[in-house]
Amino acid sequence: MIAVPYLTALTTYFSYGLLFVFGQIRDLFRKIPGCCRSTNLQGYAPICFGNEDFYTRRLYLRIQDCFERPISSAPDAWFDVVERYSNDNNKTLKRTTKITKCLNLGSYNYLGFAASDEYCTPRVIESLKKFSPSNCSARADGGTTTLHNELEKSIANFIRKPAAIVFGMGYVTNSAILPVLIGKGGLIISDSLNHNSIVNGARGSGATIRVFLHNTPSHLEEVLREQIVEGQPRTHRPWKKIIVIVEGIYSMEGELCKLPEIIAISKKYKAYTYLDEAHSIGAVGKTGRGVCELLGVDPADVDILMGTFTKSFGSCGGYIAGSQELIQYLKYTCPAHLYATSISPPAAEQIISAIKVILGEDGSTRGAKKLAQIRENSNFFRSELQKMGFEVLGDHDSPVMPIMLYNPAKIPAFSRGCLEQNVAVVTVAFPATPLLLARARICISASHSKEDLIKGLEVISQVGDLVGIKYFPAEPNKPQLDEKTVKLD
Amino acid sequence: MAHLYVKAVPPTDLNRNTEWFTYPGVWTTYILILFFSWLLVLSIFGCSPGMAWTIVHLSHFLVTYHFFHWKKGTPFADDQGIYNLLTWWEQIENGKQLTRNRKFLTVVPVVLYLIASHTTDYQHPMLFFNTLAVFVLVVAKFPHMHKVRIFGINADQ
Repeated sequence: MIAVPYLTALTTYFSYGLLFVFGQIRDLFRKIPGCCRSTNLQGYAPICFGNEDFYTRRLYLRIQDCFERPISSAPDAWFDVVERYSNDNNKTLKRTTKITKCLNLGSYNYLGFAASDEYCTPRVIESLKKFSPSNCSARADGGTTTLHNELEKSIANFIRKPAAIVFGMGYVTNSAILPVLIGKGGLIISDSLNHNSIVNGARGSGATIRVFLHNTPSHLEEVLREQIVEGQPRTHRPWKKIIVIVEGIYSMEGELCKLPEIIAISKKYKAYTYLDEAHSIGAVGKTGRGVCELLGVDPADVDILMGTFTKSFGSCGGYIAGSQELIQYLKYTCPAHLYATSISPPAAEQIISAIKVILGEDGSTRGAKKLAQIRENSNFFRSELQKMGFEVLGDHDSPVMPIMLYNPAKIPAFSRGCLEQNVAVVTVAFPATPLLLARARICISASHSKEDLIKGLEVISQVGDLVGIKYFPAEPNKPQLDEKTVKLD
Repeated sequence: MAHLYVKAVPPTDLNRNTEWFTYPGVWTTYILILFFSWLLVLSIFGCSPGMAWTIVHLSHFLVTYHFFHWKKGTPFADDQGIYNLLTWWEQIENGKQLTRNRKFLTVVPVVLYLIASHTTDYQHPMLFFNTLAVFVLVVAKFPHMHKVRIFGINADQ
């Protein structure tokens, strides 16, 4: 539930209207001389059909320097951002050789494994020498090494499911698995804010898709009841299969899914559940086992658990964990397993070592420290931002915190203002988020120290004052005595 | 006024091109834009208020007809062309007819017509053009006209 200041909503619509009008006028001026100019490409279809590149050309390119900034070091707590300049008003950007060291508030580096790690990196280099950077083969052909088997056992053990299967790419895990699990005659009920990979996989499966209001179990129940009663479209036969797809932490909202209620409703109506834990695995929960552990849901109650290794484990790839029969079935039907190249062996070794560190099997307490650190960092950062008067979304304990910007002009203002003061933030706008709700998304890492966070807060507060995004009244500073009593908890 | 907040609930519409219309504040912005454009026309042309309303009504007709009922598809490529045969009016709220938003959008040209004809004292030729404009707009918004292309105008191969 986002509380939008009414005047801000009006000005945001007006700003987008103005941008739209200017874009249309420019397009008009482009079309008129363009009619006279004949093209010598006869018989070729156009690259863009109709006006589908309007948003990219007229809105995105204006603020292109706030997105896709190249970096030249590992995405640790501090990293090097390459400076770029433009001679034609952001239509093309050229890289320079100058770099600035910036505070990294944008990488999904939840446990700090993105940079060199004292336990993982030597083992990864060893496996690189032993196995090679790539198997150059699909899992079904020659791409299964001992590392892959060990990785699957390790991740199944970590998630507390009987078996798991691992793929080389996180996006593909969703878009190649859903068509295999369900087909025509089935029903997919997905949350309205699900990630593009899920939407793509659902569209590719051929099943009927219905959407329920974000994180609203009562609406899910309503949709389920209506769909079960109506049956398949036109024939009204009963559905072959119903899968409910939700995410653990929604990356644009930072909020946790209402998992216990959703699982209860799905069990009541005998629908399968698919939980996408891309952002929550390794980052939340007492031992890092994700949103199931945090909310007290037994992993055996969720039918399919999916996740990626790109966020908390500092690697690449995705996994699916489920029952033995399910994984066996996926191993001989999923195209990503049969035809796509297997996950790179050093990447697999990184995940195995990262899991060992998290579970404490490397003989140290670094894993537990990292988990406590990220929880503490996220809660501290979020509460400080809220005290300053920013509108911050997301639940307690979630390491993702979007700060609402709303107006389209505030997006580049905030992004460039922070970069000038050496803080790198990621801003997200339409169409990745709804039109009205543009935001700057902060991702906290376990490798951020208290000083880093305080510096980040100072810069964000300064830029926030300049840009005017402190939509809520700031809380007055509490006296020193109160802070001491809170610390004793 | 600065501390008046509204709740923004994400709708179940997956079409990013039309989903923004279900958020709070859109109706007010629309009405305010019409009112301010009337003031703008008055100050630029220095004509009578009735003439200004007629100009606003006719330009509103041209703009909304072009963007709601003529242009098809979405302005981004992510949708991969699934809405390429539908105009914006046919896309909103997944094609469900007679919703609150659709009723509001049908009422606005009619109210503009009434204001324009009243302030010009129902004189010709303004009355003729205003009536033609409102007729075309209201007929285009009928539920029966969903996906109908008269005489193949604006239809695809």
